Amino acid sequence: MDQPLIEVKSLQMYFPVGNNIFGRRKQLKAVDGVSFDLYPAETFGLVGESGCGKTTVGRALVRLYRPTGGRIIYRGTDITDLDEKAVQPYRSKMQMIFQDPYASLNPRMTVSSIIAEPMALQQVPQADIDARVRELVAQVGLKQDHLNRYPHEFSGGQRQRIGIARALAMRPEFVVCDEPISALDVSIQAQVINMLEELQAQMGMTYLFVSHDLSMVRHISHRVGVMYLGHMVELAEVEELYSNMQHPYTQALMSAVPIADPDLAAQTRRIVLQGDVPQPIDPPPGCPFASRCRYCKPVCREAMPDMREISPGHFLACHL
Amino acid sequence: MNLLEVKNLNTSFHIGVGTVQAVRGISFHVAQGESLGIVGESGSGKSVTMLSVTGLLPYNAEISSDSITFDGREISGLSKKEMRKLHGSEIGMIFQDPMTSLNPLFTVENQLTEPLKIHRHMDKASAREKALALLRQVDIPNPEARLKQYPHELSGGLRQRVMIAIAIACAPKLIIADEPTTALDVTIQAQILELLQGLKRDSRASIIMITHDMGVIASMCSRILVMYGGTICEQGDVREIFYGARHPYTWGLLNSIPKVHQKRGEKLVPIHGTPPDMLQPPAGCPFAPRCRYCMPVCRAYMPPETALSETHRVACHLMHPKAPKVTRED
Repeated sequence: MDQPLIEVKSLQMYFPVGNNIFGRRKQLKAVDGVSFDLYPAETFGLVGESGCGKTTVGRALVRLYRPTGGRIIYRGTDITDLDEKAVQPYRSKMQMIFQDPYASLNPRMTVSSIIAEPMALQQVPQADIDARVRELVAQVGLKQDHLNRYPHEFSGGQRQRIGIARALAMRPEFVVCDEPISALDVSIQAQVINMLEELQAQMGMTYLFVSHDLSMVRHISHRVGVMYLGHMVELAEVEELYSNMQHPYTQALMSAVPIADPDLAAQTRRIVLQGDVPQPIDPPPGCPFASRCRYCKPVCREAMPDMREISPGHFLACHL
Repeated sequence: MNLLEVKNLNTSFHIGVGTVQAVRGISFHVAQGESLGIVGESGSGKSVTMLSVTGLLPYNAEISSDSITFDGREISGLSKKEMRKLHGSEIGMIFQDPMTSLNPLFTVENQLTEPLKIHRHMDKASAREKALALLRQVDIPNPEARLKQYPHELSGGLRQRVMIAIAIACAPKLIIADEPTTALDVTIQAQILELLQGLKRDSRASIIMITHDMGVIASMCSRILVMYGGTICEQGDVREIFYGARHPYTWGLLNSIPKVHQKRGEKLVPIHGTPPDMLQPPAGCPFAPRCRYCMPVCRAYMPPETALSETHRVACHLMHPKAPKVTRED
């Protein structure tokens, strides 16, 4: 394969929580040692339940957070600890599409100024900005006369298009799509997904597609990583993962997805997990999934399983 | 026998700039012991339909109907006080967001025993006994401790279980579940669906399940209403809808979700455009502006319902004998 665009090496993101005046403050281990590579022009799906750290990984990669440990290497350059000023050139190469198209657009700015803002920040000449805004608006399927309107005049799907146009303004190489469709209606979701795919075909970007919608992730991704409680538990090419999943959590997660086909749904046996996801605050040692795992052995509660390659490109972190 | 029968229900909301016609002349029924699914996008009127039937709408809503009968009794003209006797005893409700539908100021015990004390006139001790049994029935571990807790101390899945326990406390004849799993993670959703299916097997209650998730409908419901723009565009049993749908909107809904065995690179088929503005609903079929088979008649007249079988009914001009024959494309 080619050189990776981004290498993520045992990324850690801890947040201090609680206002413990005496003694040590507790730590919320949102991401705890996640490693993977992203290749040019691929879509990497990141799935997991809420609180598993998938959004945090996305945000740390575009350096919205400063990771507390591990390394992020972008085209050979370590950007983990760069300060605000030094990271600025990389900002334009890495963009983000947010989950909530209502909260992520400034209600006081017109569509054209929203889309122009990243270019203005990077000191693109004004004439170029205007031309580029028009081009972008056409690319995401909005009309030129939408440019002077405000976000509240648009539906959720249209707003998400504005957010996408803004993300593409600087011709990024890498876009984090953080649950870009979960706030949209089913019929609109397909419009946005198709558009993301077309844009990728035209511009050759890499997507990190963060979602809990497993069927959409299967549809759009080349490779998929499954996260649980801050750890990557399984990672493989999409067809390999969906047909030959090995981790008990992946199996449970996949079987929990309701199938929109009554006959198939009747044939499929659901693995119902007991209990809830534990808190990532001071988690016990051992496999994070041990407390809900059907196959849990004593070793699972003692030692964290290492990520190993069980077949080419298929990584698994499990003692089984 | 039909437990619930609704004839020609219209609901509109008076807001500053005009009147939103959320539900426009729909009729349906729920049979005894049946599980009915209502699907549609946001704004299609699916939740408003159920809130109209149960009389839970705000003051600016205007409801009119030819009749709403529940368990053989006309309930459309009932006063708020009389409706309250039905709520919680005959009709149990489960809402989408268990954080906002539980009262944060009261303990689980307080909220769970309230319907038992009011409707079943139980004393404190027996209501508590019953509450413990209910928590066990919805698989909540350590029920004694949970009774003393407040909603914020529970996880989303546990809260929804408490909500379900409250809904089934008085053994209602009808359970209305409005997007009961939308706010939950998939593995928790699977737990809750499993629980609801178990409840359905064990009791003779009818369930109305409102959702936008075709997957949830497929595994939970025996009959389906598809709503769009405040009207029912298609209804039928689960196989008729999933394998023999005839309305272009239903096709669109089914085509826009990735199929189980769909290969990467195969395109999804979205529905173009956006749902209609219910402030000025179109005169004809509400789906006409987004429909690729739209004919001039579709924009002018609301399509009549055509019965294709005892259960399968479609409101579409394509059903007319002289209309062009079109079939679902995959």
